[in-house]
Amino acid sequence: MSTLKPFLIRTLQLLLVLWAVVTILFLMFRLMPGNPLAAYIDPTFTAEQQEALIRQFGLDKPLWQQYFTYLGNLLQGELGDSFRYRTPVAERILLLLPNTLILTFSSLIVAYTFGILAGAWLAWKRNSRFEAAALPAVLATRAMPEFWLGMVLLAIFSFSLGWFPAGGTRSAGTSYDSLWQLYTSANFLSHLFLPMMTLAIYSQGLPLLLMRSNMLDVMKEDFVTMAKIKGLSPSAVVIRHGARNALLPVMTSFAIAVGYQLQGNVVVESVFSWPGLGRELVNAVAASDYPLAQGAFLMIAIVVITMNLIADLLYTFLDPRISHA
Amino acid sequence: MAETLLSIRDLSIAYEVGSKDVVAVSGASFDVPQGTIVGLVGESGCGKTTMARALTRVIADNARIDGGAMQFDGQDLAALSERDMNALRWRDISFIPQSAMNSLDPVYRVEYQIIEVLRDRGGMRKAQARARAVELFEMVGIDPGRLRDFPHQFSGGMRQRAAIALALALNPKLVVADEPVTALDVIIQRQILDQLRGLQRELGLSVIMVTHDISVVAYICDRTVVMYAGKVVENCDTATLLNEPLHPYSMGLKNAFPDLQSAGTGVLTPIAGSPPDLIDPPKGCRFAARCPFATDLCRNTEPALTEAAPDHHVACHRASEAAVLRETAKDPATWGAVT
Ligand SMILES: Nc1ncnc2c1ncn2[C@@H]1O[C@H](COP(=O)(O)OP(=O)(O)OP(=O)(O)O)[C@@H](O)[C@H]1O
Ligand code: SF4
Ligand SMILES: [Mg+2]
Repeated sequence: MSTLKPFLIRTLQLLLVLWAVVTILFLMFRLMPGNPLAAYIDPTFTAEQQEALIRQFGLDKPLWQQYFTYLGNLLQGELGDSFRYRTPVAERILLLLPNTLILTFSSLIVAYTFGILAGAWLAWKRNSRFEAAALPAVLATRAMPEFWLGMVLLAIFSFSLGWFPAGGTRSAGTSYDSLWQLYTSANFLSHLFLPMMTLAIYSQGLPLLLMRSNMLDVMKEDFVTMAKIKGLSPSAVVIRHGARNALLPVMTSFAIAVGYQLQGNVVVESVFSWPGLGRELVNAVAASDYPLAQGAFLMIAIVVITMNLIADLLYTFLDPRISHA
Repeated sequence: MAETLLSIRDLSIAYEVGSKDVVAVSGASFDVPQGTIVGLVGESGCGKTTMARALTRVIADNARIDGGAMQFDGQDLAALSERDMNALRWRDISFIPQSAMNSLDPVYRVEYQIIEVLRDRGGMRKAQARARAVELFEMVGIDPGRLRDFPHQFSGGMRQRAAIALALALNPKLVVADEPVTALDVIIQRQILDQLRGLQRELGLSVIMVTHDISVVAYICDRTVVMYAGKVVENCDTATLLNEPLHPYSMGLKNAFPDLQSAGTGVLTPIAGSPPDLIDPPKGCRFAARCPFATDLCRNTEPALTEAAPDHHVACHRASEAAVLRETAKDPATWGAVT
């Protein structure tokens, strides 16, 4: 199939990017001034104990040897132990990853669904009073800082109205038999709602404005005029030919949005005490827990890179000019 | 003579530009007899596309039909409700655009776009529409195996053929073709025109063929309407137009284009100057500034379109002297230094 080769090339490129990220992470944490073990080593340790530790972590070896050990360990999913928790980093990260993914994707799906529909609608309502009111409102949501938006939602819907819990992923003292049961429980979803909405409101502007301007361009294309000359129904003209074409660039923006979103997660996860990778990363850096910070970084990078691949494939799938070149 | 399918009377179409009006078509009248190809010829900007699109009533946002009638098969297209007009679109009047590349939706297979119109507008079921699509491709000379291609996989000529197939899908009474071969090279032009001519005869179609190229008119059109600056200036059968034109602009046009059949021979003499501004047209004959035969009468009084000879309409004060003017017009020097 003609679609397979570009896919392989893309995958190779992404593996290369991943390798670069891994190497930069390695260098960043190794070459940082100060002893990487400072946070781990108790001041009461004797000099022999300290040296034993340094050997144990392989820090007495030359840098290139450390690098290959590090790569080898990564390939086996071995990310070392957290200084703070004294448990494997990989375990900790796998525990937090679903929370971050659920928050990111649910908010992006809400943002994109709303943005695409509203953008198409606004293009349709061109030059109306409705448009005159809606556009500034959209621009305003783009200008609001996330933490501020999060605080406002918290103040209104949690503290004042009491409709939603203030933070965390579930009420204290609840337990579930499986993760699936937890993630589909009303308890979890009500905790998810406010941080998800914060991110969604923050992110819907991009797909909305993009969709609207694409729609306005596409509606001027000859094939849309032809659809009208053919006497097709307005919905066929606007949706089948207009929106379908306007959607293409919006899909590419999805990949970029995931990157932004994971960055935004750091703030929103902190505001809502959402136990995700972003919040963990901030805490780990603050506590000089380098293995954990490095692991969290790496995981976020993997998610961004994978999303890029998926968005690329989606675009290829949606645009026959690429998939059937 | 054949029955009249379309009769345009005094049609005016204006574009609103700021607070001003560009009257792109002003008081145009002509007929399209059943089963003929009528050419609509004139320079770029003279209002051909505007006129052609008015027949579909899908016109630019700032365009407005400013009066006149388009009697088509017993009803006035200009007066139909949007709903009735939409019922008639493509089933009775179809359209072949100039650039078939952009007129096919890039994200759908060509087959889908043919089937779409057969199902949505022709009420066919899927299997029936599929079979019809194959038949249409065979009619226009494309391998039906290419039906599942996307538009960008087609060559320019194939796209234009596909556009013709699409236009014939519902057996319309009138096909309006807006420069259907202009973007193609001469050999492909001829092939496609031959094909179109063959189909037109076979199906008894009526066609309006918009072109700026008088050699296309000579090659395929039964009758020809010459437009200049939004006005119809001459209207007669093509042989008469080529051999005994009455309007100086028609005489000039003939000198300005190579013959499609014997491409490359003969000297081409363009008509010097450019058409007038349609926002503020001159008061007399619109061609006066470029006409080698203009008189004071021409510059002050607009000539009306009259039937100067049987079935031969022209708008020129000096139409009665045409035989003499034609001789002078043959000399390239006549067209050289007009101020
Ligand atoms: N949307 C528009 N708004 C304003 N003026 C327009 C618009 N469309 C066309 N015009 C003007 O109307 C006149 C006629 O245009 P039209 O496209 O009908 O010409 P044409 O004979 O088809 O020319 P061409 O050979 O270039 O296709 C031109 O002067 C053009 O500039
Ligand atoms: S009316 Fe006069 S200016 Fe106009 S075409 Fe005839 S001769 Fe030329
Ligand atoms: Mg045109």
